[in-house]
Formats: sequence, structure tokens, C-alpha cells
Amino acid sequence: MGGLLSYFRNLLGSREMRILILGLDGAGKTTILYRLQVGEVVTTIPTIGFNVEQVTYKNLKFQVWDLGGQTSIRPYWRCYYSNTDAIIYVVDSADKDRIGISKDELLYMLREEELQGAILVVLANKQDMDGCMSVAEVHQALGLDALKNRTFQIFKTSAVKGEGLDSAMDWLSNAIQNKK
Amino acid sequence: MTDSKYFTTTKKGEIFELKSELNSDKKEKKREAVKKVIASMTVGKDVSALFPDVVNCMQTDNLELKKLVYLYLMNYAKSQPDMAIMAVNTFVKDCEDANPLIRALAVRTMGCIRVDKITEYLCEPLRKCLKDEDPYVRKTAAVCVAKLYDINAQLVEDQGFLDQLKDLLSDSNPMVVANAVAALSEMNEASTSGSPLIEMNAQTINKLLTALNECTEWGQVFILDSLANYSPKDDREAQSICERITPRLAHANAAVVLSAVKVLMKFMEMLASESDFVSTLTKKLAPPLVTLLSSEPEVQYVALRNINLIVQKRPDILKHEMKVFFVKYNDPIYFKLEKLDIMIRLASQSNIAQVLSELKEYATEVDVDFVRKAVRAIGRCAIKVEQSAERCVSTLLDLIQTKVNYVVQEAIVVIKDIFRKYPNKYESIISTLCENLDTLDEPEARASMIWIIGEYAERIDNADELLESFLEGFHDENTQVQLQLLTAIVKLFLKRPSDTQELVQQVLSLATQDSDNPDLRDRGFIYWRLLSTDPAAAKEVVLAEKPLISEETDLLEPTLLDELICHISSLASVYHKPPTAFVEGRAGLRKSLPARAGSQENVREPAAEASVIPTQESLIGDLLSMDISAPTVISNPTPAVDLLGGGLDTLLGGDVGTTAPPINQSTSGLLGDIFDFTPTPTMYMVPKIMWLPADKGKGLEIYGSFSRKGGQIFMEFTFTNKAMQAMTGFAIQLNKNSFGLTPAKPLQVLSPLPPGATHECSLQLATTGGVQRMEPLNNLQVAIKNNIDVFYFACLVPMNVYFAEDGQMDKRLFLSTWKEIPAQNELQYTLANLNLNADGIVQKMQQNNVFTIAKRNVEGQDMLYQSLKLTNGIWVLNELKIQPGNPNITLSLKSRALDVAPGIFQSYDNILHS
Repeated sequence: MGGLLSYFRNLLGSREMRILILGLDGAGKTTILYRLQVGEVVTTIPTIGFNVEQVTYKNLKFQVWDLGGQTSIRPYWRCYYSNTDAIIYVVDSADKDRIGISKDELLYMLREEELQGAILVVLANKQDMDGCMSVAEVHQALGLDALKNRTFQIFKTSAVKGEGLDSAMDWLSNAIQNKK
Repeated sequence: MTDSKYFTTTKKGEIFELKSELNSDKKEKKREAVKKVIASMTVGKDVSALFPDVVNCMQTDNLELKKLVYLYLMNYAKSQPDMAIMAVNTFVKDCEDANPLIRALAVRTMGCIRVDKITEYLCEPLRKCLKDEDPYVRKTAAVCVAKLYDINAQLVEDQGFLDQLKDLLSDSNPMVVANAVAALSEMNEASTSGSPLIEMNAQTINKLLTALNECTEWGQVFILDSLANYSPKDDREAQSICERITPRLAHANAAVVLSAVKVLMKFMEMLASESDFVSTLTKKLAPPLVTLLSSEPEVQYVALRNINLIVQKRPDILKHEMKVFFVKYNDPIYFKLEKLDIMIRLASQSNIAQVLSELKEYATEVDVDFVRKAVRAIGRCAIKVEQSAERCVSTLLDLIQTKVNYVVQEAIVVIKDIFRKYPNKYESIISTLCENLDTLDEPEARASMIWIIGEYAERIDNADELLESFLEGFHDENTQVQLQLLTAIVKLFLKRPSDTQELVQQVLSLATQDSDNPDLRDRGFIYWRLLSTDPAAAKEVVLAEKPLISEETDLLEPTLLDELICHISSLASVYHKPPTAFVEGRAGLRKSLPARAGSQENVREPAAEASVIPTQESLIGDLLSMDISAPTVISNPTPAVDLLGGGLDTLLGGDVGTTAPPINQSTSGLLGDIFDFTPTPTMYMVPKIMWLPADKGKGLEIYGSFSRKGGQIFMEFTFTNKAMQAMTGFAIQLNKNSFGLTPAKPLQVLSPLPPGATHECSLQLATTGGVQRMEPLNNLQVAIKNNIDVFYFACLVPMNVYFAEDGQMDKRLFLSTWKEIPAQNELQYTLANLNLNADGIVQKMQQNNVFTIAKRNVEGQDMLYQSLKLTNGIWVLNELKIQPGNPNITLSLKSRALDVAPGIFQSYDNILHS
């Protein structure tokens, strides 16, 4: 029966959405991935390579790719761009020193032709940390004002506390469905 | 429009299709695509361009798909070393998978990915897998450590994997133990340090022995091989290990049996040879070896080669099994030859009759090589078993009667050896041999026959005719035959001088005048001189009693045999060569048998393959071009023309009086030295320092210094033999040097110098050798030769040995010379911390041939003016300024050759501080 059901679903065009989680190393990408998948905080080690998991959110299926953020791995992000529906760009709000690098990487990525149609969600993560930048500051620092022709939204989140992720996913689900 | 379009990848073709299929959402399609990629890969198509896409399929629950992706990774990671990093995280995750098969698969694949950039990331997962709860994962991880060691040995040591591996040696699972042992032994062999990475102790050995009975056959081989590398602390431990591995001799796998034999052979060395245990063990070893000879031909040959070693080491094991080595008619030729070899080694009085009848049978076979070897074997039996000699000779005579050409020739060669071994016993057969003279066409047989004729010329009436017949085609003969013929005719002449004078003159002129071969010519000249000077002496030389020969000639050299015994069941034991001879780039350890129980010395020290590295690049080139074989005695050059005139006479102890060699000069010099050895003991000598450490001298250690005694320079040596064998044949050469130092006499070292012995000697030097400026000036390059090797080293000659006795300059001459030498040729030096007054300095320097010309006192300072002359005629003038109460003395030096100044300052320092 299940096979038949999925057959019908495919006919209706509800295919698996492809989402990339990107960001500098240590921003919290892997923690967010597993928070979304299993709803728990797992201990993570730096991702040398990638993780890919199926995430179901409100009956929508996502194939979420979490790519390592180390300098040595960033050049390979581009190998994952094709057919991407949405990008979740994670920023460490407490890392003021590297926010500039984070901005550069974001802009560099958004210039890619393959990502022209992708929805962008920016997560100002680690809001639970003392002295972190506010959403507005992150917005400002990443230069999001200058973004044209892009469906995007910024959210403040704390992956360890699980705050803000639901609203971000709600918005993303809607945005994807609206786009169809 | 630019041309860049030509470089954009086409969106068509197989690769592109595969790429899109790999990125498909549908799992089934993905899997099919990966299979297609693997198929292309295995037929040799380059699908490396799909690397990122295939890697993206890596995280899957499907084991089949995962295996395929891993297969792809192993193949292409090397061509995409940068991209390979994307796979790391998946490996890390898979190593923590719930399924042990996936964990093992991941760790195995990681080990096969030989990319430097990612090895460091793989350490952590490997560490976890080594501690995995599942034995399958642990055993896989153990092998992975060895693979990692091959890529990055340092990393393995730094990460503590060796200790983890050591823990696995005592694992509860025998397969894990076996793999840990295998990994360790592989790493030991690859190790560059030369010392084992992990020392086995009695406890781990016990664990290994326990695991031995339970693991797979190949695991058993690994364990047995590493047991063979273990050295038990005493004979009791060795015996208990032997007891526990003896059951392995009954194993069906030939490799297990041979490895067990290896361990037993090695450990038996440690046991007292007359003990009951050894004799039972010896009995137990025979059946498994015999059984090996009924397996398939390849195994049989390996077994035969190994048995050949074993019977050389311990003939007792197989002494009753002669029959299994009898050749079968359908054996391949390489079996036959090997069996023949073993038969001879096993031949003894008790079985010689059987062996001989077999050998006689073989000598009638059709295969020429085999027949030859069989005939030769009969000869070897005769030499080995004295009681059988007579029977062997009659068998050989029977064979000669067959008149089969190659049989006859081979028989004559071995009969020559029998004559050597048993002189004056079987000469009655000579006439039979002579009948076959015309049929001999091989050089060895001809030479043997000629030797026999020459040796027994007095018993052969027509010996002169026979030899003369050979002489006709002298120049067409092989060198071996020519040399024999020359010697034989000289022997004949000495035995029957009356009627063979013409013959001997003919052969001498053929050898000396018409031959281009230097060996032949030299031998001819020596005989000629001998005969013309003193025929009686010639007789003593040429017809001297010959040493007996023994059958040991074809045995392997004992040290090599011992090493090969340690390599039983390996290629080395089949080749009968040490592994270093055919495996390139592996320095490795030379293995040797353990010392016998009770002996003091532990010979397990690996015989380091020391190659003496000269301190200076130039050294080798210079010294190699010299002839090291004989010390050159330059002080009494013999005129070259005289080489054949007087030289040989003296050499051969003829009429000494005829030549008055200039040697006398130096002899008197020597005597003089001996008599005034003591008068100047106060002459300063630099303490001896290490010139050649034992590890570079293959056991020879040399300390040395230089001294000046009685107007001569001496090189003072202390030789210590730290090797296991006696050393003989010492000789020395000095390279050309700044002062022309050269040995005035041959080096006289206690010879043989027994192991552990120390010998002091001094060598008189002259300054008449070749001069070549060295850097530094007093550098001296030395080559010492002994029976083991030639060793090169460099040392510094203290300048004071060059200070000549006639270095006192006339006062006025000193003054004028001092003024003449320009100021830029003056150097100053401070002699620090001297508690000597002017008189003390004068005295000390005078003893060392530095002469004080004048002494002045200027404003409370003492001024000394001293002169010295070097052996090469360089004058050096010195001025010393001594202030009372100041321990520092200023030395001003003037010389036309300022190069010598540093050495002279050094000598002043040494002498005054002595």
C-alpha cells in the first residue's frame, strides 16, 4: 500500500526537497541538522565532509545536506549546488571576528548560477550566548539589505535550546510550497 | 566570441548521463548508476570525473550500495586526493554504525585509501575500532594499523597505535591475536629503525601460544613466524615453547608445518644437544618433512630446498630417511638435482652401499645434466665416506668403461679430487684414465687430466709424450688448461730433468712470450726464475705437499646457513640467499640463530650492515684509486727494473747475499729507534682518541694518536676487535697529505687479532710521501684493511710532531728574518690560563723541539723569542710576552707560510697545558 501511496504522491509532484545547510565551521550546522531530524542535541565533532539526512517536517520531506565549514572543504560546496531548493545559512552570532568572512562566503555562494532559484534562510545561531550579536546586527553585518531577487528571511535561533528553529522551518515550508 | 566554449564540458555522453543518474532522487536509479560506474571502472574506463557524485551516494542504509561506493573510493581516492576529504565524515559515522559489518568495512576501506591529506582524520575512528566490542572489527582494524604504518610510520607511533596493537596480542579472540601478530610482523619488517617495534615478553608469547591452537591456518603461520623471532630467556622457556608447538607438525597445511619446523630448528639451538628432549624432537621432525614430499610438485620443491638446509644444519633428523630422497623416474629434473644433493649430504657409512647403487643407476640415465651430477655425487661420496672410497673408485672405473663421453669426463674430474683426498692409494687406475685422453674435450676434464699426469709424472712412462701432445694446440686451449699444462710440465721437469728440458723451455716460452694472458705470463716468469736460480728451491715450491681437501666445499657458509634457517618457509630458503640479496630497499634485520644454552656471548645482536661513511666526500675517491692490498714502503724504493732480477730471489729465499737491498737502511733506523725508545719520554703526545668506532669498522675499533720519538714520527694505535671472529691481514694506506706523511714500514698488528682482544702498536712514518694540501692543513685520510673490509677515516695530525730537531736558528739570522718577514705575516694568539714562568716555558718547549733564541725583560715583562722548523722546511718565529701575575700569555707568530699558524697555536696550547 505504501508504495502505491508514494506513487500517487509523486504524481502530484510532492517530491523530496533538497536543502543545503552551509556556514563557517563551528556555526552549529550539524547540531541544527540533528535537532531537526531527531529533536535532540547530539554531541558533534567537526564535520570533515558531509552529513545527509531525511527530515520530515509537517508532512514535507526534506533531504538535508550538512556540509563541513572548514576552509579546506568550502571549495567543494559547489559540488552540491545543483537542484537545491533552499539554503539554510548558519551564522555564529557570537563570532564577531569572522562575520566578515561569513558574509564573503555567503555572497560568493549566492552568485552561483545554480542557486539562483534557491530560497535562503539565514539563521543567526547561538543566540543563547552572552554578548552575541542581535538579529539586526547580523542582518546588517551580512549586508542582507543589498539582496535583490531572492526569497529570504533571517531568524534568531539557538540550536542547543531548540529556539527559533520551528518558526524558521514554518517559514521555509510555506515559502517552498508557495513557490510551486 | 571567445574560444572558451571549447573548454566547457559537454552536457552529453556517458559520463554526463551517469552523473545525472547518480544525482537522481530515486534510490533504485542511483544504485543502478553506481553499478554502471563500477562496471566502467573495472574494465578500465576513467570514471574519476564522477568522484563527487559517487561520494554523495556514500551515506546510505543500503549495504550493497555502500560497498560499491567504497570500492570506487579505494580506486580513485588517489587520483582525487583533495576531494577525498569529503568522504571522511562518512567514514567516521560508519565506524560508529550499529552494524559491525559496516564498522569493519569502513575501517578496512579507510586503510586502503592511501591519501596523506586524510590519514590524520582517520586516526580517531581507527582508535575506536581497535577497541570495538566486536572481534571482527578489531581484527580488521589491526591490519589497518599496518597499512597506516606503510603510509605514515611516524603517525602510528605518535598516535599510540603500537600500544593498542600490543593490547590486541592478548585479545580473547584468537583471530584478533593472529591479525595483530601479522600486522606487527609486517611493520617490523618495514621498520627503518632496525629494531623491533614491540618487544615480545614471556606473557605475550604465552597468549600467542594459546591463540595458536584456535585460529585459522594462516593465522597459525603468522603466530609461528613471530614466535621464531622471539628469543626465549633460557632453555627451559625454549623447551616449553617447543613442546607447545610440536602438535603443529601434524597440520595439513605445509606452510604451518614448515613454520613450526623453523621455530623448532631455531629453539633447538638453545637446548643442550645431548638432552632427551632434543633427541625426541629430532625424531618427531622427520615424519612431517617426509610427508611434505608427497604433496604437489611445487610444495615438494619448496620442501626439498628447505630440507637441504635442514640436513646441513642437523643431519640427524633425516639420517634414516635416505630412501625418500631416491630419485623417481618421472621426477622433474629440478627435483632430481635437489634430491641428489640431499642424498650426498645424508650419505654415511651405514647407507653408502645403497646410495652408491642408486647413483650408479642414475649415471646411466639419459638426462645429461643429471648424469653429470650423479657422477660427481659418486666422487663426493668417496671423499665424504672414507670407507666407501674404494667402492666409489671402482664404480667410477666401471663408468669410464662405458666410454660415454660426458660420463668419462665427469669421472676424471672427480677422480682428480679423490687423488687429492687419498694420495698414493688409487694411482693404479691412472693407466685406464690415460686411455681416454683423446676423448676429453671439456676444459675442466682436460685440466684435471693434465693435473693428474703432472702430479704422477714419475709413474707414467710416457708423461712427456702425453703432455707434449697437449702443447701443440697450446694457444687454443682454455686458460685453465694452459695454466695446468704449464705447471704439469714444470713438475715433470723437476721429476725427470734429464729428458724434458726442451719441453719445459718450450712451454715457458709459450707462456711468457706468446701469451697475452697476464696470469699465465706471471706464472711462467715465476717458474722460469725459480728454475734458473735454484732448482732445489723450485722443487720445494712446486712439489710442496698439498693440503688435504674435504667434502665441505659445497656446504653453505655456516653464518649464511644459520641465517637461512631463520628464514625457513620463505623465498630466502628456496633461493638459499639472504633476503637482503634479492629484496630491494629493505635493510631489515639480519636474523641469526640464538646462542647455544650456557654460552656467555649473546649472538642475537643483529649484525649491523655497517658501511663506513667517510667523513669527507673526497676521501673515497682518493683512497679507492690507491692500491690497498700492500702497504707501500716508500722509504726504500726498489728500482722497477730489478723486479725480475734480484727481487724475486730475495722474495723466494734464494741467495740473499746477491742483492744488497736498501732495506738495511731502514732496518738500522728501526734498531736505532728501539734502542733510544726512552730518551725523550717527555715529548708531548696528544691523548689517543677514537678514530674508527666499532660499528663503522665492522667490529674493529681504533683509537689513535701521533707522537715524535727519536726524530721520527709515529702513529700510535690501539686496535680492539669487537667482532665475533678473529681479524687478520692488517694493512694501512695514507692518502696524500700536506706534509707527505707515509708509512715507513708495514703495519705490524697482532695477527690474528682474536675477538675481544686489544692490541697496541705504533707505526713509523716518513715524510717522503706524496704531498697534497689538505683542509684543514693537518688533516690525514687513512685507510685500514683487514680480512673483513677496508675502512676509511680521517684524523688530525697534531702539528708538534712535525717540529724538527734542527729548529734552532742562529741569533742574528733570527733577528734579520724577523725583520724581513712583513708585518702582515704576523699573527697573534693568547695562551690562556698558564701558570708557568718564562723558564718553565723555555724548558717545556725545548723538549718539543721549539728552541728559545733569546730572552729579554722589558718593563717587567719577560719576552721570549723562539724558533721552530717543520719537517718540510718551513721556519716559524715566535715571540712570547709574559707578564708576571697574568696567566694569559701573548704569542706573536711570524712565518712566510701563515697556513701553519693555527696548528702551531694549538700545539703551543697543548704542550704548555700538558
